[in-house]
Amino acid sequence: MSQVLHPIEKTIIKLLQSEKNLTESQIIEKAKLSADQTRRGIEWLRLKNLAVVQESEQLFLTLGKNGLAANKEGLPERRLVNLVSGGPVPFDDLRKKLLDEMNVAIANAKKNDWITITKNNSASIVSLKTNPDQTSEEKILAQIGESKIAQDQIKDSATLESLKKRPDYIILESVKTKTLSLSEQAKSIDTDAADSGAIDVEADVPMIYAAKTHPLKDTINEIREIFVSLGFTEIAGNLAQPGFWNFDALFTPQDHPAREMQDTFYIKDKLAQNFATQAQINSVSASHKKGWKYPWNLDAARKMVLRTHTTCVTIKYLAENKPSEARVFSLGRVFRNEKVSYKHLVEFNQVEGIVVGKNVSLRDLMGIQTQFYKKLGLNKIKFWPTFFPYTEPSLQTMVYNEKLDKWIELFGMGIFRPEVTRPFGITRPVLAWGGGIERIAMLKYGLNDVREFYNNNLSWLRSTPKCQ
Amino acid sequence: MPVVTLYISRLQKLVGKANKSKIIDALPFLGLDIEEQTFKYIRVEYSPNRPDYATDVGIATGLQGLLGIKKGIAKLTIKKADKNYSIKTDPAVKKIRPYVLGLIAKGGKLDDEIIRQLIALQEDLHFGIGRKRKKASIGIHNLDAITLPLLYTVKPKDHKFVPLATDKEMTVLQILDTIDVGKDYSAILGNSSSVPMILDAQKNTVSFPPIINSALTTVTTSTTSLLVEVTGNDSGAVSDTLSVVASVLQGLGFTLYDMKTDKKSSVESLKTRNILLDSSLVNQTLGLNLSSAQICNMLQKCRLDAVARGKKISCTIPSYRFDIFGPMDIVEEVALGYGIANLSPTLPSSVSVGQKSKTTLKLDQLGQIMIGLGYTEALNSSLTSKQVLYDNTKRDSAKLIEVAESKSQEHTVLRDSILPGLLENLSKNIHEQYPQKLFETGIVFSGNSPITESISLACVSAHKDSGYTEIKSVLQSLLKTDSNIECRTKTSENSMFAKGKTADVLVGGKKVGIVGEINHEVIENFKIRVPVSGYELVLSDFVL
Repeated sequence: MSQVLHPIEKTIIKLLQSEKNLTESQIIEKAKLSADQTRRGIEWLRLKNLAVVQESEQLFLTLGKNGLAANKEGLPERRLVNLVSGGPVPFDDLRKKLLDEMNVAIANAKKNDWITITKNNSASIVSLKTNPDQTSEEKILAQIGESKIAQDQIKDSATLESLKKRPDYIILESVKTKTLSLSEQAKSIDTDAADSGAIDVEADVPMIYAAKTHPLKDTINEIREIFVSLGFTEIAGNLAQPGFWNFDALFTPQDHPAREMQDTFYIKDKLAQNFATQAQINSVSASHKKGWKYPWNLDAARKMVLRTHTTCVTIKYLAENKPSEARVFSLGRVFRNEKVSYKHLVEFNQVEGIVVGKNVSLRDLMGIQTQFYKKLGLNKIKFWPTFFPYTEPSLQTMVYNEKLDKWIELFGMGIFRPEVTRPFGITRPVLAWGGGIERIAMLKYGLNDVREFYNNNLSWLRSTPKCQ
Repeated sequence: MPVVTLYISRLQKLVGKANKSKIIDALPFLGLDIEEQTFKYIRVEYSPNRPDYATDVGIATGLQGLLGIKKGIAKLTIKKADKNYSIKTDPAVKKIRPYVLGLIAKGGKLDDEIIRQLIALQEDLHFGIGRKRKKASIGIHNLDAITLPLLYTVKPKDHKFVPLATDKEMTVLQILDTIDVGKDYSAILGNSSSVPMILDAQKNTVSFPPIINSALTTVTTSTTSLLVEVTGNDSGAVSDTLSVVASVLQGLGFTLYDMKTDKKSSVESLKTRNILLDSSLVNQTLGLNLSSAQICNMLQKCRLDAVARGKKISCTIPSYRFDIFGPMDIVEEVALGYGIANLSPTLPSSVSVGQKSKTTLKLDQLGQIMIGLGYTEALNSSLTSKQVLYDNTKRDSAKLIEVAESKSQEHTVLRDSILPGLLENLSKNIHEQYPQKLFETGIVFSGNSPITESISLACVSAHKDSGYTEIKSVLQSLLKTDSNIECRTKTSENSMFAKGKTADVLVGGKKVGIVGEINHEVIENFKIRVPVSGYELVLSDFVL
């Protein structure tokens, strides 16, 4: 037999090989083990099918508050006969002594035929009939006394039942006893045989947790790797941006609902200085005046906001570098002033890539998307038209999710509008696409609540496997 | 994004000659996202730049094109105005809400569903192009209750009439103070003592723009003739709004009549316009090789008109398509007409070698070392609360950077330190197995010129034996392993840390961070039950 036995198990087996059945407390006593060791040993042996555990229940009795009092001062009916042993006593005088036990005392004393009650004028008088011996109830009270005894030690069960009916005389306690005997297999175990030094390699061991990257960071890193593998170079920009780069440079009119405080976080008391060249400001202003027909206001463009997309990083890069060929991407936090829910966060990660080139087309953009999703393991995709304020034409990707058995909207894409690129002197087409990363990570980790990513719940961080 | 409910049998009747599944399959290719689909109806989300899609009539017009049932512009026919079909403008109203246009629609049939759609359309126009009724707002009235011509004028705030959906006469002041729409939109009127009012020839109040119509002109299912008036502060928005309503009403079977105003008649603002473009722009942008004739055909499928002369294409656009700015918008229409599903993906021919940013590479490297040291990565929002950032940590909040009107109490202040967030994480995990060791890298903010962003790394170690020696060892090991940097620690004080057990971290004599045991009061504030030590380094100051 390959099983390795713990010293505790060996001790118990040895003991049971000489004495067929032992209770838990007998084992504790005979094996000189602690209660805890014994309990564990019994449980191990049971799990290994080496011992059979039989549980039996035994009832124990102790006296309750009234029972203890009666044992000391006598049952109510005994106190009654004691009071009338010196001669008849009026009913009312007895009541003053016995108080609320009066009724019980009279009833029982009459039932036992110890007293007679006579009526004299208006008062009732109680007199002793016979001087009683110790009753069977009194015997049981005396037998229990202050100790705890097993119910089966009391032979007179009828009297015990009547005592139990008296309030708070007898307290019943059920005690479960485990009796252990060896299984056939264990009877033949030679506990002194040669497993000494071996340990139970099959036993459970304590759990330790490997430190690791955050699961969302793993998805972020995976997406970053894909961009790099597709030939894109990473660019970065600030989270706090002047309205100019977040909105105006992207042809979002200054009275557009998306610019309102209920959608966008404005930073209190902060205005941007020197955020763009005068030429850039002039041409953006002119583009708004021409396209949207309103007087563009520099002060609105100076207000600092928490960026609502990574596109502000892209457009600033384009404006500053005016590349004729480029493949760049930016990845980072973006913000929306929304109520936090299982679907929405105020702060989440977004990635955006662009391709600038002489002959790049919408079909190329679709091709890059297809490659991107393929690398993420998403092969069933299709494209639908959609609307974005700063791209034209615009598409969105629909990705088929096997687990959910439905099409899910993922990244959006499009070609930057001329109204966006021309003011910065960019004449070549700029293909752009991007979207939220948490959405992809939720699919990967099978989460229904996006907040889980930022709860930093250790049990989740520790238990989420790297590979999904 | 707004959503419209489409009853399938109604839609099918409007589209004509197409089976249900064909219609449903085509919806996404108009740019409509299906939100919900049942046997009876479909709910689709449409983009706010296409308010004509707020009604099934508008969507049916688009579907007819894509499915090849009807092509080209659904032409608006506006009959000449009768003698009385006019709105006279009182010069006094020009300072408050200067523009007005109107239209008469006759001979249509209304049912509850159509009325519901018209109200939804009206609300979308008010919100979007109308910029919450400021630039433009619409009133649709029962013409039979009105005596033409109309007068667009001003009235003092004690002017009385019975507003829509009520049965008692109210003053303008009462309307502005007690009715929801009055309270919501009164700001548009500014603090002028008088307000705009449209009166009919018998001096009955027709409408109090942009707040509410009169009950007198309530439209019901038995109404057959309508008066549409649009007022606003922006003449373009007023015209555009009228054009959407006009195209929808014509689609519903109404005959439209012009209304004269002082400036221009409605017909003028419902005119089509032309955009010229070159077929090479289309072909280059879409990566196709279409002939001019093919391009014209595709534009007609998008309910536009187009004629070609060689490579030049002249596209005619109906007035309600004000989402079209220039040639690139026409290119998108060609793509829709071609069918997005028919565009096969290609790959750009250029080749380039990609790379991660230096910051990313550095943070990855530092993260790996922290993991090697037994620290698990946490991620927290950079927008957090004053409670976590300053109150619980006893840090000075004098320079806090706050955002305006956050909808979430837990996200109001930009973090200037990462450690408080990590302590908050420990506080949420007190029932998990110890030791607990966490680190985070991320952006922190400070309020200079106007905001400076730096990158920090922080870590915490929480367990019953956590202390200064352990955390300094971790700090030392990180810097040594990363780039063989020697750091010194110099006694210092910081309210978040325990007195006598905290130090500034110096690299090359310059302070780059802080290390120590967390102050026990701070630990208690976060309801943590074990000692915590930690450090925070401003990476931008020395390794980035």
